[in-house]
Amino acid sequence: MAVVSIREVVKEYRAQDAPVRALDGVSLEVEAGEFVSLVGRSGCGKTTLLNLAGAMDFPTAGRVVIDGEDTARLDDAALTALRRRKVGFVFQFFQLLPTLTAAENVELPLQLAGESDVRARALERLRLVEMESYADRFPHQLSGGQMQRVAIARSIVHGPKLLLADEPIGNLDSTSAEVVMQLLRRVADELGAAILMATHSLEAAKITDTLVRLRDGRIEERRRLGAAAERVPLG
Amino acid sequence: MSRWRVFYRLLGRPLLHDPVRTGLTVLAVALGVAVVVAIDLAGEASAGSFRSSMETLTGQADLEVTAVGGFDERLLGDLVRLPHNLAFSPRVEGFARVMETGATVPVFGLDLVGDATLERAQAGGAESTFDFEGMDLETAVWAGEAVAAEPGRTLRLQINDRVLEYRVAGVLRGEGFQGVSVRDVVILDIAAAQRALGKLGRLDRVQVYEPEDESADWPAVLRAALPEGAEVVPIGSAAEENRKMLGAFRWNLRVLSYLSLIVGAFLIYNTIAVSVVRRRPEIGVLRALGATRGDVRLAFLAEAAVLGAAGTVVGLALGRILANGAVELMSLTVQTLYVTSAPGRIVITPARLLTAAVAGVGVALLSAWLPAKEAAAVAPTEAMARGRRDFEAGRGVGRRLAWGGLLALLAALASLAPPVGSIPVFGYLAAVLLLAASALAARWFVRTASGLGTRLAFRLFGIEGFLGSRSVAAALGRTAVLVGALSTATAMLVSIGVMVGSFRETVLVWMDRQLRADLFLRPAGDPATDRYATMDAALADAIEALPEVAAVDRFRAYPIRYDGMPANLGAGDARLHGERAGIRFLEGGDARQILSCLPTGPYVVVSEPFARKHDVWTGDHIRLPLGGREVDLENLGVFYDYTSERGAVIIDRKVLMQYLPDPAVSSLAVYLEPGADAEAVRDEIVARNPGRELYIATNGRLRTEAIAIFDRTFAITWALEAVAVTVAVLGMAGALLALVIDRKREIAVLRFLGASAGQIRKLILTESGLLGLLSITLGTALGTALSLVLIYVINKQSFGWTIQFHWPVGLLLAALTGVYLASVAAGLYPARLAARLNPIEAAHEE
Repeated sequence: MAVVSIREVVKEYRAQDAPVRALDGVSLEVEAGEFVSLVGRSGCGKTTLLNLAGAMDFPTAGRVVIDGEDTARLDDAALTALRRRKVGFVFQFFQLLPTLTAAENVELPLQLAGESDVRARALERLRLVEMESYADRFPHQLSGGQMQRVAIARSIVHGPKLLLADEPIGNLDSTSAEVVMQLLRRVADELGAAILMATHSLEAAKITDTLVRLRDGRIEERRRLGAAAERVPLG
Repeated sequence: MSRWRVFYRLLGRPLLHDPVRTGLTVLAVALGVAVVVAIDLAGEASAGSFRSSMETLTGQADLEVTAVGGFDERLLGDLVRLPHNLAFSPRVEGFARVMETGATVPVFGLDLVGDATLERAQAGGAESTFDFEGMDLETAVWAGEAVAAEPGRTLRLQINDRVLEYRVAGVLRGEGFQGVSVRDVVILDIAAAQRALGKLGRLDRVQVYEPEDESADWPAVLRAALPEGAEVVPIGSAAEENRKMLGAFRWNLRVLSYLSLIVGAFLIYNTIAVSVVRRRPEIGVLRALGATRGDVRLAFLAEAAVLGAAGTVVGLALGRILANGAVELMSLTVQTLYVTSAPGRIVITPARLLTAAVAGVGVALLSAWLPAKEAAAVAPTEAMARGRRDFEAGRGVGRRLAWGGLLALLAALASLAPPVGSIPVFGYLAAVLLLAASALAARWFVRTASGLGTRLAFRLFGIEGFLGSRSVAAALGRTAVLVGALSTATAMLVSIGVMVGSFRETVLVWMDRQLRADLFLRPAGDPATDRYATMDAALADAIEALPEVAAVDRFRAYPIRYDGMPANLGAGDARLHGERAGIRFLEGGDARQILSCLPTGPYVVVSEPFARKHDVWTGDHIRLPLGGREVDLENLGVFYDYTSERGAVIIDRKVLMQYLPDPAVSSLAVYLEPGADAEAVRDEIVARNPGRELYIATNGRLRTEAIAIFDRTFAITWALEAVAVTVAVLGMAGALLALVIDRKREIAVLRFLGASAGQIRKLILTESGLLGLLSITLGTALGTALSLVLIYVINKQSFGWTIQFHWPVGLLLAALTGVYLASVAAGLYPARLAARLNPIEAAHEE
């Protein structure tokens, strides 16, 4: 069963009294352990699709089902609970809380869910991203790459089935970007999480299992990647 | 000009786009200005343009002749016979209670037949007339329009303890007589007034009109013709003396009214500081595009000036409205503690408008100076900086703490200095230094306390408490200012609470010792208006003859003038007082010994306020004009007294009778035989004295009423406090709103990470609660220090009262709980806003 199933989704916004269609009949499924990249120009609907997939927003038409639960049928409290248990987010600008240490940032999703004894799990995730020795540092004491690794640890600390990453390497140098992409690959492979990643980088997309190209709110291309796909020109 | 347009776009527009916050800041300044304006206007109306009711019919006379207890009317004959063209207007004065309305009004006895100056006044165009043709002058009265609406009616007046019937011969209207309002007065012929007031053959004062065609040193001429003890003073002296007496009271209120403005200053500082933090990149761009540091500084000062000006305009209007209520409250205090007064009109003068403008705009500019300087220091390179930096929060915490310590030390030194005149200038300075010290220490306190309290907050409030505590410490630049503002308001609340509570407790203890009699009698009516009403001495004798009565202490009070200030002269049975009442002496030795000495010669004791005001201590001599001579009196001691701020000189009744032989009494303290029923004796006195209007209170009732008056007196103080706290809470709401707006992304991330809307709401409310708690803690510490300054320095130097320190625990707990709840409530709207934020929009804003 797909971890997230997006079916015939339409998303419209109102901009200056005229409706703007951000997504237009998009359907997509991501299986457990599958790593899907969303590529396309700015404004093509990548982030909108991520928000819908993460139950942060509702489609104007169509359905979004996360791990068997139809988001349209859930109220705000149930959606929050769903996110807490099953969804993790990684952002372009890391979005670590500046007032918390690395470990405290990682503990946050567990604490928001009301869980106790969270330090050991946070340290374990920091170990996974090789940031355990930086556990007590504050964000401003870390580099961009280190911050994003902490953010990844935070996004997986509660063992989500779905990880949504919005331009996770958009703000990193190439070396750090490489490290982050490898980490995400491991999350999919070792933890079995379904990952949906929006990116501008076709280079980064090569590491994913499936590439979905969006254009003007529609899926223009869907391609399985792998050893053969790497040879396919994507640009 | 175009440069200003750029500044308007960058700085002015955001103010308009953030109307709630801008509105809250303007409202905070407006409230501060309003309170200053209201107290200024009301102070002037109820005290500044103060005119004692006794002064009402002063008219255009130049001088007046007075004496303690009045003087023999034959003296007028001596004056009239002087070989000069002087004109004289004799009068007796007192008060009457209008039985129909219960109002107490001044009564004047004028020589309607022989006083030529009255015609002079009528010739001056006044409407009032005294047409007494065919009238029985014994029963005719001319009454102000507020007392009697039409002539011919019967008017029942209680004068002293008797009710008398009069016929209204004429109604005094409008500006009335001799250019002074006569709405609330009653005028009788002098002979009728002398009889009614129990002043047969005596006059209270003679007003003197100097001749226009002759010049001389008229006071000297008059003095030469008068016996010792009679005083010649310029007209209006009493009003001037009263104004002087009220000086300290008005100063204290004025200083208290500045409190809201100080709290408002914190908030302007915060608003501008937030503005600087938010717009650092824009400032960088401006600097890169050629704006000078001066331009930037000026732009931010202009922003503050706009907020200050808007606050001033609103504050002026609000102040005018608040002044009405303030006049009422202030008049009550003036009336209760000082002197009978008739509040004047509230007048807004250009000088007051200027005061308001200086208060509003000046304070805004001063408080914006530091953030504006910070803005001017932004380097053009910061145009490229991403994100926002807090307002230099972490910098110089230790240095500020050290400065705070130094100022606290200076405050301690200032509190040791004596007053300047009767104004405790150094006391105020000590209070201001303490406030500044606390403001400087606020950053250290907030950082340390929120750091230490993080774990506790987590345990108590979960992750929301933890995050709230961390963010309070992280946004130190803003939160410390907020804590500074609310703690200042709280500190004043605590200090005034402790001061008033201590004063109240001191008065209660004092009453316990002092008020030992079982019954107290005085003429019925408003004692705050008619302070020197008298009762027939025979009444005292009759009461003393009752079998249930063990003793009666006869007390007589006279108004006196000492050292250019009004005071009271009181005479009682010193020996009885020593045996029965628990009078306590500040100095002079054993109370019983002092009081037993008092009847043996020209001795007095003085109250503490009198001693402090006039620097008269044990062994000192004072000279009082009594019964036509200057009497030298030795002070045997200084006693604690809380009845009047003007101070009192107490003499034995028998000794006073040698100089002023009028046996009438002002009040009686009746001591009953053991086992006698006070209520029954009270009823018996009433039954045996039909026709006498007496106020008879049992011991318990008198105490209850006294403490009720005490509480009413401080109503205005509490009103000012409430405004200061409101300003602080408004500011807090505005600042929390700013924090929410600036932390939109952080809040959105929390939502992405699984925080529910309820958790976000709880987070913001926890922050506001935490800020409230920190403010209350700091405010209570500062308030305690301030209360010491208030009790032992400002109050003592202003009013001369010794107050024993006392914690009014219940009152403080209630007040602090109120502040805490208000601070949490200040977070309600920001919390609602935060919970409703669209996380998608907020997270992607960059």
